[in-house]
Amino acid sequence: MVEPGATDLTLDTVSLLASEEHEVAIVGRSPWYLAWRRLRRNYVALASLGVFILIVLCCSLAPVYAHHVAHSGPNDIHAGEHVRVSGVLKPVVSGGAVYDPATNTFDVQPVIYLAPTWWHANGRFVLGTDKLGHDEAVRLLYGGLNSLKIGIGSAFLCTFFALVLALLAGHFGGWTDWVVSRFFDLIWAFPVFLLAIAIGSALQVNGFHHFGINIEPGSLWIPTLVISYVLIPYVGRPIRGQILSLREKEFIEAAIGQGAGPMRVMFSELLPNVASTVLVLFTLIIANNIITEAGLSFLGAGVRPPDPSWGNLIATGQDQIQTAPWLCLAPGIAIVLTVLSLNVFGDGLRDALDPRAKVRLEH
Amino acid sequence: MTGKRRWGWLLGVVAIAAGLAMMAAAFSAAGTKSRTPSNPQAFPKLRAVLDTIDYLDPQQAYTGQSWWAMYDVYETLLTYQHVTGPAGYKLVPGLAQSLPTISKNGKVYHFKLRKGLKYSSGRKVVASDFKWAIKRGFLATGQGVGFYTDIAGAKKYAAHPTAGGNISGIITNNKTRSITIKLATPRGDFLTILALIFAAPVPGGTGPAIQNGSIPSTGPYKFKSYDPNHGFVMTRNKYFKPTKFIPRGNPNEVDVSLVGDADAATQMVINGAADYSNAAIPPDRIANAKSKGRLVLRQTANTYYFWMNINEPPFNKLKVRQAVNYALDRGKMQTLIWGGLGQATQNVLPPTYPSYRKLKLYSHNVTKAKQLINQAGANGAKVTVWARQVSDSVDSATYYTSVLNSIGLDAKLTTLPRATYYTTIGNKATHAQTGWARWLEDYPHPLDWFDVLLNGNRITNQDNNNYAWYTNKTTNKEIESLKKAPVLTPAVNARWAKVEKQIMQQAPWAPWSNRVFPEFFNKSIPAKCIHVQRLYGIDLARLCK
Amino acid sequence: MTAFVIRRLVGMVFVLFTITVLTFLIFFATPGVDPARQFAGRNPDPTTVAAVRHQFGLDRSLPVQYALMMKRLFISRDLVSYGNQALEVVPAIKAATPVTLSLVTGAAVLWVVFSMLTALLAVVFKGTLVDPLLMILALIGISMPVFWLGEVMNLITLDRWHDTFLFSWVPSNGYVPLTQNPWQWFLHLVIPWITLSVLYIGFYARVLRADLLEVQSEDFVRTARAKGLSPQRVLLRHMLRNSMITFVSLFGLDFGVLVGGGALLTEVVFGLPGVGKLTYDSLQTLDLPVIMATVIYGAFFITIMSAVVDVVYARLDPRIRPT
Repeated sequence: MVEPGATDLTLDTVSLLASEEHEVAIVGRSPWYLAWRRLRRNYVALASLGVFILIVLCCSLAPVYAHHVAHSGPNDIHAGEHVRVSGVLKPVVSGGAVYDPATNTFDVQPVIYLAPTWWHANGRFVLGTDKLGHDEAVRLLYGGLNSLKIGIGSAFLCTFFALVLALLAGHFGGWTDWVVSRFFDLIWAFPVFLLAIAIGSALQVNGFHHFGINIEPGSLWIPTLVISYVLIPYVGRPIRGQILSLREKEFIEAAIGQGAGPMRVMFSELLPNVASTVLVLFTLIIANNIITEAGLSFLGAGVRPPDPSWGNLIATGQDQIQTAPWLCLAPGIAIVLTVLSLNVFGDGLRDALDPRAKVRLEH
Repeated sequence: MTGKRRWGWLLGVVAIAAGLAMMAAAFSAAGTKSRTPSNPQAFPKLRAVLDTIDYLDPQQAYTGQSWWAMYDVYETLLTYQHVTGPAGYKLVPGLAQSLPTISKNGKVYHFKLRKGLKYSSGRKVVASDFKWAIKRGFLATGQGVGFYTDIAGAKKYAAHPTAGGNISGIITNNKTRSITIKLATPRGDFLTILALIFAAPVPGGTGPAIQNGSIPSTGPYKFKSYDPNHGFVMTRNKYFKPTKFIPRGNPNEVDVSLVGDADAATQMVINGAADYSNAAIPPDRIANAKSKGRLVLRQTANTYYFWMNINEPPFNKLKVRQAVNYALDRGKMQTLIWGGLGQATQNVLPPTYPSYRKLKLYSHNVTKAKQLINQAGANGAKVTVWARQVSDSVDSATYYTSVLNSIGLDAKLTTLPRATYYTTIGNKATHAQTGWARWLEDYPHPLDWFDVLLNGNRITNQDNNNYAWYTNKTTNKEIESLKKAPVLTPAVNARWAKVEKQIMQQAPWAPWSNRVFPEFFNKSIPAKCIHVQRLYGIDLARLCK
Repeated sequence: MTAFVIRRLVGMVFVLFTITVLTFLIFFATPGVDPARQFAGRNPDPTTVAAVRHQFGLDRSLPVQYALMMKRLFISRDLVSYGNQALEVVPAIKAATPVTLSLVTGAAVLWVVFSMLTALLAVVFKGTLVDPLLMILALIGISMPVFWLGEVMNLITLDRWHDTFLFSWVPSNGYVPLTQNPWQWFLHLVIPWITLSVLYIGFYARVLRADLLEVQSEDFVRTARAKGLSPQRVLLRHMLRNSMITFVSLFGLDFGVLVGGGALLTEVVFGLPGVGKLTYDSLQTLDLPVIMATVIYGAFFITIMSAVVDVVYARLDPRIRPT
């Protein structure tokens, strides 16, 4: 005889059965957790993230280095001074042509800049000196601070605006999409250098003090805003592409069928699905922005001298590239290391989040 | 019989042919002798490299490089001698027969053109061609046209220039070859302005449209061709007759390449692909270049200085301005900025001027500078230093900023793009306190410096050239008075030196350098062949190989 | 298709018009800009400046000035530079275009060939050390600022190792036209080509490799192998063709940007008088006519290539419809 209730299936059956199972055995894993597990196994990517964090840390400690190790600020001129290198007293800047008033002639001699002392001078002039007698190592660290601030800041702004625009374009389609795409084209074709030079010089004289926003002349916000504006299509286009293909999927239809409004669809359905792409793009865009900032500063439209940035250190260093090559090589290598570490990590992140790598950075 | 006649006939033909040939040779030799008499220093071709030129049109060109070539192409009524040294600043007759007669009130100048002058096209040079050149300057709005507005009737003409219009102050007579110029107000530098290539006569009726290299010339050379991407070629002007002051020129042809990259230009000279280059070799490569070629360093008339706006605190106090002058280490600045290729200065005028007396008012003394700042109560005063986005301007202004900070001011550097720098600092509304500037002379007369840069009467609210907004009753009056002195006599020069000292005692400026420029030659050019004309640079007419 | 073409043409005109108007406005909004003074020389009389302003129409309202400039640029084609009145803008761009094309085309050939090679090698040797090594090299290439690489190349080839057999053939910076001397044209461009392509080789190699790997797991590849085709044939004839979509579309965009003057920094560092260098020089002196012309030239190429790429992409991937 069948016991009453033994084979009865009620609405509680499932939970009843489940509670009798071991709790740990059935635990759903979110895609994020799975991605984290994959990333954890990618030692190369983790190592390069470590390198990047190390670089950021070193640059943030620039004031400490300047004060305690090098005993020099980034803009301090030491041109007439002497430094003890391995016990020998050496001038920071020496040589140059000598004028003889009696004969009204010049004896042309090369100018000698102090080469990198590494550890031989107690932390002073570790990377040598430049034309005006600055401590190059201090300038490199402060420059890194500026370059990283601009790179990361503009990456945030850029990703935010690109995401908003791409969501609007991807979801509404039609004319909105056309307008946003043409807007992307417009920005893409715009002469960024003219914009940077014009905005930079417009704000150079008085700064910008309207609408409750206060930007001082020479502020880092100027190159940050310019770079973030110019790279919106870079991030926006791939996201838009992905949203367009997502829109065809059934779960979006289902959400709309359930009566979800546009905001709900965009933020609750579309956004989480592009989140991994956005994260990857964000990482890669920081790298790209650091290089763009270097290019802008090289052209004189980014960080203004005497404030250092890796780009303008290369620009001023190139004048002496034959007699003092370290001035140009050090900031360049710094950029390569930073950008490389970000790129390797970004790659690893993409492999972890999206192993089929369906969407890639278009540029 | 036939054989002998044949031989005889043949001999006769040969004899006649030989005779004809000898006559032809005699004629052509005579012909060449009269056209180009033997010049032992003549050589076929000078290959030069210039970094850039702006125009080869006499009423338009305004760069030293263009003038270097045009010095031997477009002659002016008065010109400068082809000599090295201070005599190169002395005005001598060019196309005019002699120096002009000047009326007592300094308002009327009377010239007479030389006889038998011809352009390179064969056309006669007539007195009215000079008037046409001035008119053409206004018609074409040439860059130098502002110099000639003191000629009577010129301002009126400039307002509505037409080909048929008249400038009442220039009266010419082609038959008597006379040129009379009447000025509305007397100008002490008028003769030097007449020696500018802007006033070079061109064939009457030459249109105002820019012509690079096709306007007929009056000098020892003419332009044969011009390609803006490659360069230009100069050849001898066969209608030119040398004078006591203008030589015939040694090279038969001058081939100029335009190469913007200083390294590439220097390399061309080192390789032997060129004989001469004017490229601004970067200071750190000059020592290297010197070993591979012949380096000549040329003083030009320039002064690099920092102006201090006497209307804006803290520079409204004399002590602060003097402190800045005491604080600058001018000797060190030459090494830092130019690699040593500059001369420290505290003067307004560069040492090329006959009136130059080296001022030693402010020896390098940082302690004294700090004291003066204290006394003026300017400690901690906020200062914005302005510079132009060119590497030497930024470098020197960076150094200057650190000096200001070291004596107790609170200074910060601001840089502006090349194209907007001068308009911004020359605008009163900017209230610019201090910054970088330099002046390259337009023509060798102290008025080009003191009247333009330091005369309080010529201050304007916009496009001002007197960046220190400097004005002083005594020196203003003296400058105005010296404006009327038509010739730079030793007495006049002494007065100029006095004005300069008075101005520098008021210290509206902190001058720091007279820059020196490299001229680079191939090793094959002997040193004795290189002559530096004080105004126009390397004298191409006197170069030899 | 026609609707697409019309939509994109309208879009292009809109973009060009907006960009030119914006450039114009930005120029005149920059403080301290006074073209009349630029024309009038170093020591201008106020009357001279006023005369110049009138002669060049600089005292008229901005829309009129804009219209005049567009007319001079497109219709009468006699627009002159603010810095040098003898410099006509349209011929200057025409003269600069072959230089940019030489640089960009050569670099493009290099980067396409080498990126394909690198990607194919990485896929063939996947699982060994070669794959990650090649990818790291590729990443290093992407991580270098191109102007810095150019400076370093100049240092090595023209200064430090110029006297050795390796680099003694490298001529000084500059450009020799192909029609004038083909061999010198080639020598002058070799180092710039390598410098410009290094950046792109890395990027394209990674893109292509990722696509190849994705295709590798597709069914048709398995079918081809099952049919008995050799791995090389499968790789080259089946996989490669199906992986080129992204590669081709990205190439189109990059090429468009570079031809439009995007190789600005490379041209400046190597002294090549192309469109990029023209843009750079005009920005330094704020020479509006030249800036305007280079901006239009660049924007035109970029928008055209963008449209072409969209068409190609749609053709190759029928799921995407061009907008």
